[in-house]
Order: sequence, then structure tokens, then C-alpha cells
Amino acid sequence: MLPYILKRIGWMLATLWVIITLTFFLMHSIPGSPFNEERATSEAVQKNLEEYYHLDEPLFIQYVMYLKSVVTFDFGPSIKKSSQSVNEMLGRGFPVSFELGMATLVLAVVSGLLLGVAAALRHNGLIDYIAMTVAVIGISVPNFVLATFLIQQMSVNLGILPVATWASPRHMILPVAALATGPMAIIARLTRSSMLEVLTQDYIRTAKAKGLSPFKIVFKHALKNALLPVVTIVGSLAAAILTGTFVIEKIFAIPGMGKYFVESINQRDYPVIMGTTVFYSLVLIIMLFLVDIAYGLLDPRIKLHQKGER
Amino acid sequence: MKKVLTLLMAALLIFTLAACTATQETGKQSNSTKNKEKVLYMNNGMEPTSFDPPIGFDSVSWNALNNLMEGLTRLDKNHEPKPATAESWEVSDDGKTYTFKIRDDAKWSNGDDVTANDFEFAWKRMLDPKTGSSAAFLGYFIKGGESFNGGKGSEDDVKVKAVDNKTFEVKLASPQAYFLSVIANPAFFPINVKVAKENPKWFAEAKTFVGNGPFKLTKWKHDSEFEMSRNEKYWDREIVKLDKVHWAIIDDTNTEYQMFQAGELDSSAVPAELADKLIKEEKVKVEDQAGVYFYRFNVNEKPFDNKNIRKALALAVNQEKMADYVTKNGQKPAYGFVSNGFKDADGKDFRKQNGDMNKTDIKEAKSLLKKGMQEEGYDKLPEITLTYSTDDVHKKIAEALQQMFKESLGVDVKLANMEWNVFAEEQKALKLQLSRSTFLADYADPINFLENFQTGHSMNRTGWSNEKYDSLIQAAKNEADESKRFEKMYEAEKILFEEAPIFTLHFYNHVYVENANVTGVVRHPVGYHELKWADKKE
Repeated sequence: MLPYILKRIGWMLATLWVIITLTFFLMHSIPGSPFNEERATSEAVQKNLEEYYHLDEPLFIQYVMYLKSVVTFDFGPSIKKSSQSVNEMLGRGFPVSFELGMATLVLAVVSGLLLGVAAALRHNGLIDYIAMTVAVIGISVPNFVLATFLIQQMSVNLGILPVATWASPRHMILPVAALATGPMAIIARLTRSSMLEVLTQDYIRTAKAKGLSPFKIVFKHALKNALLPVVTIVGSLAAAILTGTFVIEKIFAIPGMGKYFVESINQRDYPVIMGTTVFYSLVLIIMLFLVDIAYGLLDPRIKLHQKGER
Repeated sequence: MKKVLTLLMAALLIFTLAACTATQETGKQSNSTKNKEKVLYMNNGMEPTSFDPPIGFDSVSWNALNNLMEGLTRLDKNHEPKPATAESWEVSDDGKTYTFKIRDDAKWSNGDDVTANDFEFAWKRMLDPKTGSSAAFLGYFIKGGESFNGGKGSEDDVKVKAVDNKTFEVKLASPQAYFLSVIANPAFFPINVKVAKENPKWFAEAKTFVGNGPFKLTKWKHDSEFEMSRNEKYWDREIVKLDKVHWAIIDDTNTEYQMFQAGELDSSAVPAELADKLIKEEKVKVEDQAGVYFYRFNVNEKPFDNKNIRKALALAVNQEKMADYVTKNGQKPAYGFVSNGFKDADGKDFRKQNGDMNKTDIKEAKSLLKKGMQEEGYDKLPEITLTYSTDDVHKKIAEALQQMFKESLGVDVKLANMEWNVFAEEQKALKLQLSRSTFLADYADPINFLENFQTGHSMNRTGWSNEKYDSLIQAAKNEADESKRFEKMYEAEKILFEEAPIFTLHFYNHVYVENANVTGVVRHPVGYHELKWADKKE
């Protein structure tokens, strides 16, 4: 196991380096500049600003300086919000996005699994149809539509929940519901189809023949194997949700980090673009790594170290 | 299996009930606190760029900053500059030297005196190219300001001087009737020198912020909310009625409006889809903003090197239809470049006095097009591409223009859109043939609009150059006599439309809804909000 993990970490660092390099050069190849404003400033001012942010240096030098800042995990000041550093922005935004993302994930995974299992057990029955109708709606209704609808009904018309912002646990209910519906539907459908497949296998029949309780069969034997495809998508889903979602955070005015991804590119705020990209890549890579570890734990047939050595 | 499901259901029920009781409790709490204090709930849209006066040169910083600090003058309810931190001033006979007397009771929120030194430091800092302020051009009126900001002159040549603790002297490059209005802009706010020397980032957090305005910054959760309360050290504190102003940071107009409907905000912008309906139902307030939506021709590119072809297209545009059926946001059609609300020496409105400059006239447009094509020897016009920056409203307007040119003149125009940052760069580099533009005034004077089209001005972006125009603008800038100054500006605007390097569509406005209990919030046409006189009835 250990050699495998070390090897994986090596690959993770290499992947990260490729992502950083690609993003850095792509970002500098887009036309436009962070100092591009409707009002032009004097040349002396432009020159000073470029000097201050080292944008007057040759691109390769900037790249080397950048790599250095990634290694020390200090992304420097934001260009557009000059009184704040990228680290401060990430440090403020990530916990909020993480909180929203965790709540969403828990809700999506728990309810998705329950829906999927229920549907599989009552295959072609009423529960199946209801669950799959819910799932299809969940997949096809975009979360921003659902969000606006929920706000209008629950907050404006009924007045039982706050419209937006991130002030108390009550403020979490609507955004979590809006954000979780899509992933929940995907998980429900995946769980249902892999459960259906597992339930027809011989070992399940054996378990039934042994006289095990249906609860034990489903949750101990069947679900464990049916979980593999679900775990696969939960990994990348988690990375995407935990690092913030632009649309939902915007609609509910949640001070997470989702907006930095989009705004920084629009404003050509180079340090923020790099900071968010590196951060997101890091989370994604770690999540994928955890998924691989989880495979081995769930299914003993998958031997990680062998795969790694091949 | 069933047991498990029942258990889960029960758990869910308990959770829901718990959530409901929480609802009632928190509801009660917020009601009782509301009764004690007068709190105005506003939305700032986005995180303020900066509360450093010369850096926060945009509406998301201004709206708050203008209430946290105060310059020598402040714009009153009629948008006229009135004594503020300065209690009086004297102007020399040639109109070039201003001597301000700073009031004795002008204090910083930490108790320090506001001194002439604070102004000298702040103004020089704004002009310093190292500061990187995009507002610095406003200080070019000051003698030595432009060369210092351009990296040529030195700080000592900037003619602002603290004569003594409470006397501040400014020498201008030329007489400016509107100087007192310009310096109400947040870029000209003083900075507490002592505080700034100790902590150069004093403006970054609520804890370290020191202001001299009607309110003081008491809380700032970045990207989420901030709060200001009445400043007990403010010289005019008796007049401030609100205890607190709470600013949410909500970027989405739909959400903002829904929060207003739910009573969580006292004022809100109106979502574009609802504007038309709400304006007709008279549920909104509409106020003029000093700014104009227009298009720039590139006069270096065919076929717009021909004046008559430019004018033909300009006259084929139907501004009224555009405002009524396309933008539908209560805007006034623009038939000139200078917006409404600027009074000349006789008290007459600039816009009314100078009349309609490019009012729709299809017949004239057709004959001008024919004439222009003959002059150039065209059988068919060279290809025309109209470019706009990516945005729903800009797109609708561009499509309507395309149709108007086609229907009235039979001219085909290709549409192209670009992301804003690229668009701005290409427009500045004169790479676009016909492009969407906006001008929002920085200070309340027609010269701010008209100076843009001088030869080589950074806002010109058309390649157009006219000697007569340039000299009229320069003469107007140096003219001390108000009626003569306006004569020159009237003439300049006529030349601008006679030559037509641009055509105008509509003047900007503020469309918003406001809680009926709120009074006295002043929205200046040049941008910022004024909460000093605001009140909220229970």
C-alpha cells in the first residue's frame, strides 16, 4: 500500500505542475489586462502598476516567480482588490463554500442512496416510478431555476425562510436544497441501476437462501458492491461542490469562493485566477485519490498496489 | 427495512419541527431590535473595491465611502456643492486660487482634528503615479497635477498647500466654475495623516478605518456585509437621523428584489424583466443619471471616413422606439451628448437650450447616404461590422439597430460580440468599425462630456479630430465668464453632431423601489448616494 501511495503522490504533484503551467500560459495569452478600465490612466500610472505586480518582467521570469509562490502557498495580493491577498480571499471563501458543499453532499448522498435503493427494491413498482420521476426532474431542472422558485415560494410568498445571505443555519436550507437536488438525482439513478445488477447475482441468492434478514442483505451485502459507481462520481462531485458554485452562491449571496473563479477571469486578476485554479486542482486531485483508496476498501478484488506496480 | 424507514421519517420530522421553532424565535428577535434603533437596510451589490478614497473610484465603493467620509464640499439635495468640512472659502479674482477655511469642529472618528495637512497629503497622494489611482485625472485641474501624475513633474510642484492647520490653499491651472462640485467626489476626501503613517492599510478593515463623515464603519465582513453607525464626532451630527445603515452584498438583482419584497431590504434595483411592468404600474422611482449610451464610428475605416454616411446611419436610428420597445427601462431618448440637468448661466437647461442634434429623420438619412455613396463612388457599401460587449441588453440594442439600418436604409450590418475586457482593448486601439459605448459623468458639468472628443483624448476612440472643436473645448476650460463658457460648449456640441463621429441612444437613469417609510435618501446624477438626511419611520 505505502509504495502505491507514494507513487500516487508523485503523480499528483506532476499533474498539479502541468495544470499550473497550462493555466499560467493560457491566462497570459487571453487579450486584455487587469488594468483595462473605461477610463484610461496615465502611462506613468500604468507603468507603476505593472512594476508593482511584476507584469513588466518577461513571461518566463513571471512563471518562475509564480512557481515559487505556489510552493510557498503564498499567492500575493489581488490586483483588483489591492488591499486583500489571494490567501485571505481563499481563507475566507473556502470555509463558507465547504460548509455549503458538505451539507449539500450529505443531503445528496443520503437521499440519493435511499431513493435509489427504494426504487431498486420495488423495481417497476410505484415507489420506483415516483423515485425515478423525482430523479428525472432533479436532473433536468437547472439549480438556478429551482433556487429562484424556492425563494419565491418559501421566502417571498410564505415568508418562512430568509431569501438570501449566509447568516444562520436557517439561511442554509434553501441553497442546500437547490444545490443538492441535481446530484441527488444522479446518485439515485446510479444507485438504482447498480443495485438492480447486484441484486440478481448469485451471492445475493445465497444470502437469501441462508435466511438472512432483508435489511442485512440490502445494506450489508448488496449496497456495498452497488456503491462503487456512486463513489466514483462522488469524488469529482465533492471537489466541484466543496470549492464553491458560482450560480447558487450568486443567487443566495453566499460569500463563498465560487465567484472568484468567474470574476477573476473576467477581470484578468492573474493572482486570483492562479490561486483559485491551484486550489481547485489540489482539492480535485486529493478527492480522486481518496476515491481510489475507497475502491480498495469497498471491493477487495481491486488490489491497489498491484495496479500501481504494473 | 420498514422499521428503518419509519425511524428515518421520524428523524426528519423532528428536524423539521426544530427548524420551525428556530424560525419563530429568530423572527421575534429581529423585530424587537428593529424597534429600538433606526436601521436602514441597503444593498451594495458587490464587495467595495476599496475604501481607500482615490482607489475606490466606482459606485460599489462610493455609495458607502461618501457617507463614511467628507470632502471640503458635499453635494446637497439639488446636487449643488455646499460647505462641508470647509465652512467657507474665498476665490481669487482670476478664479484660479481657492482658499478653504476648514471648520474648527471637523473631527475624525477617532477624535483627531481634521487639518489642512490631511487634505494636502490626500490630494498629493491621489496624484502620485505610485498610488495608481484611476481618479487622478480629476486632479489635473490643479496646477502641477497633470505633470506629476504623468511622471514628469514632482510632488512639490502640485499647488496644494496647508497654509496653517485649518487653512488649505489650492491653485488651479485654469478657472473652473465646477471645481467645487468636482471636489465633492470621494477621490478628494482627506486622509488622517497620523493614521495612514502608522498603518498604510488603515482602510482595509472596519477596526482600523478612520473617517470624518456622517457615519462610521463599525463592521465589515468582506464579501458578505458591512455596517455603519452614526458618527458622534461628526460636526453636523444633529442632522443625522439614522442610527445604523446595514449594507448587504447581493450581486443578483432578482435576489435583491425578492429580499425587498420579503422586507429584508429597504431599497432595491429592479430586475430588467420587471422594469417595464413596474414602471407602468408606477411602483418604482426613476431618477436621471448623468450618462449616455452611444455608439462610436471609427472614422479611419471605410465607409465611416465619409461624414455623410456616418450621419445617414445616425439619423436612421429611432431612439424613441429603442427606449419604448427594446430597453424598456424608462430611459429618456438621447438626441445630444450632454445629458439633462445642467443649468447654464441664465439657468436654462443645457440639453433643452442646445436642442435635438440627431433626431430620427429617415428621409434625410436616405439622401445623405446617397450623397455619401456618390462622393466615395460606392455602388454598394463596404461591409460594416457592429461590435458590442457581451451582455443581454447590449445584444438586444445591437439587434434592433441592425434591423433599423436594414429597414430604413437597406444597409446590412454584421453583428459581433466580445467579452468586455477584449472589447475595451480593441475599442481603445481603434480596431472596431462601429462599437457600443457608454459615458458616465465623473462630475456635474457639460465639459466632462464634451472634453472626451478632443483629438487624441483617451476617451475619444473614434479617430476623429477637429481643430475648431479642440480649441472651443480648451477655450471653455479657460473661460471664467459662465455665459461665454456655455456659448463655447453649445457650439462644440453642434460640431460634434455635424461631424457625427458618434450617435447617441439614451440617457442613463436609476430605476429603483424604496420602502415607503424611508425618506431623504439622495441619489446624485453623478453616481453616489447620500444618507446624511435619510430617515426611516417606524
